[in-house]
Amino acid sequence: MSDKLTREEVLHVARLARIELNEEEIEKYQVQLKTLFNEVDKIKNVELKSDNKLIAPVMHTTKLREDVAGEMLEPEEIMKNVPVSNGNFVEVPVMINE
Amino acid sequence: MSDYKKTIGIEIHCELNSNTKIFSNSINGYGKTANSNVNVVDLGYPGVLPTLNMEVIRLALKAALILNCEINKEMHFDRKNYFYPDNPKNYQITQLETPIGVNGWVEIEVNGQKKKIRIHDIHIEEDTCKSIHYKHHSFLDFNRAGVPLVEIVTEADITSSEEAMAYVEKLRELFLYADVSDCKIEEGSMRCDVNISISKTDEWGTRAEIKNIGSISNVGRAIEREAIRQEELIENGGSVVFATYRYDEKEDKTIMMRVKEAGNDYRYFPEPDIPFVVIDDNFIEDVRKSIPMLASERREKYVLAGISELNANKIIQNRSLSNYLNRFLDKDIDLVVASNLLLGDIAGYLNKTGALIDNTKLNDEKFITVVTKLSKGDINSKVFKDILDDLMESDSSVDEIISSKGIKIISDPNELKNIISTILSNNENSVNDYKSGNERAIKFLMGQIMKETKGSANPELVNKLLLEELNK
Repeated sequence: MSDKLTREEVLHVARLARIELNEEEIEKYQVQLKTLFNEVDKIKNVELKSDNKLIAPVMHTTKLREDVAGEMLEPEEIMKNVPVSNGNFVEVPVMINE
Repeated sequence: MSDYKKTIGIEIHCELNSNTKIFSNSINGYGKTANSNVNVVDLGYPGVLPTLNMEVIRLALKAALILNCEINKEMHFDRKNYFYPDNPKNYQITQLETPIGVNGWVEIEVNGQKKKIRIHDIHIEEDTCKSIHYKHHSFLDFNRAGVPLVEIVTEADITSSEEAMAYVEKLRELFLYADVSDCKIEEGSMRCDVNISISKTDEWGTRAEIKNIGSISNVGRAIEREAIRQEELIENGGSVVFATYRYDEKEDKTIMMRVKEAGNDYRYFPEPDIPFVVIDDNFIEDVRKSIPMLASERREKYVLAGISELNANKIIQNRSLSNYLNRFLDKDIDLVVASNLLLGDIAGYLNKTGALIDNTKLNDEKFITVVTKLSKGDINSKVFKDILDDLMESDSSVDEIISSKGIKIISDPNELKNIISTILSNNENSVNDYKSGNERAIKFLMGQIMKETKGSANPELVNKLLLEELNK
């Protein structure tokens, strides 16, 4: 087994995360991500004694919320945290036809 | 189409009719000012946690039961990870492993043929924000972010555009009647994705997915166009690409949007912020009991009562009229007369005034009285038209309204006999025509009597007395 990911694997992960990597970073992550994946594999290979799946760090079941409306934000408040806005809308570069 | 067979599966997203969103308590409302029904959870601010709406589970369960699904009593949610501006958390909370309902079916009918379309699963998920694209920018409105959805996925059981349209129409009718969703395709509260492939053999061809088709008739058109496109491609030596398309109504063609990414790029994993959701048998039974009479059952009952299939369907299309009529299903009245009134003059009145039937003064007692009077012939349709506005708007009883209008119904046999004798002696030719076997003469004589009484005679009684006189 190789001790690093392929260049293509790193670029694929980078594309899914929508981040751009330079050559130096690609080489660094080929090694670092592989180390990380190896740790995940260790967990995947643990032999389980029970089929009981644990999905959350708590044992209780979900408490359901009543269907009653609460407080909402004013659009002006929201836009304070938005890099580019247009009226009441959040504006972003177009993302179709990638 | 030639000897290629179509294989079609449909995915439908329906927004659920809850007051608030699925994981936050902001309002679930359409068409408000942009970004006005939004809170920190919907925007995916750091540190926020989802709280699951009880009503969403109730509505989704109702939908699953209507679709005859097996219910997952212990379920959880899953994260579908992707980076796109429509979802600032960078993941959508959905159900992959434990959908609320599986292995269901819906029965459709095409050209008199009934067919069961199997439902693979129905699962709960959150809607994304609405993006409006303009030139090089997208404008985001988070009012839709976190609106509860159910997605219903069929098996690839559908083999024609007619079946596809019948399925979508059936699902819409079911959900509308059960108050699960308002199912407005034009407004996006119901959205259809169609998967279609063609093949000459039993082996399926490569499928194309047509996303977000905007009306039921376009579901049919898009399937026909896409099937022709695939056939032409294959016949010319090409092959179908596994990709996503949209249907352009103006150009009547399907246009490729993107080649499909593989499912595992979404890196699904169980949503750790929402522990297991457990629903018990009592809850399931409560929800089952809350399902009102559905359209197909209504249709059966109406047709059984003698209402034509055409009229039965017309009533079902108007839920408030159908609910109104249902109040009289076990009453001793002529439901054919009742349905004719509802679809005719009463619907006309409601259209004209914009009123809902439940907000008018036409209570059960008045409706039963007026239908009975009409079916016995105590009043005729002309009189009904004359008293309609008062029936709908005044507190008076039917008899009070009739007498206040100065309308006199002649039901006294002696008075009618006198009128009949006068008419008969004035129309000897017609009497002789009848006696020599011309049955149609009786219609003319009836007409003359109704004219003489200005339409106020009880027609059944006149008919009976007239025949007695003629056959003396």
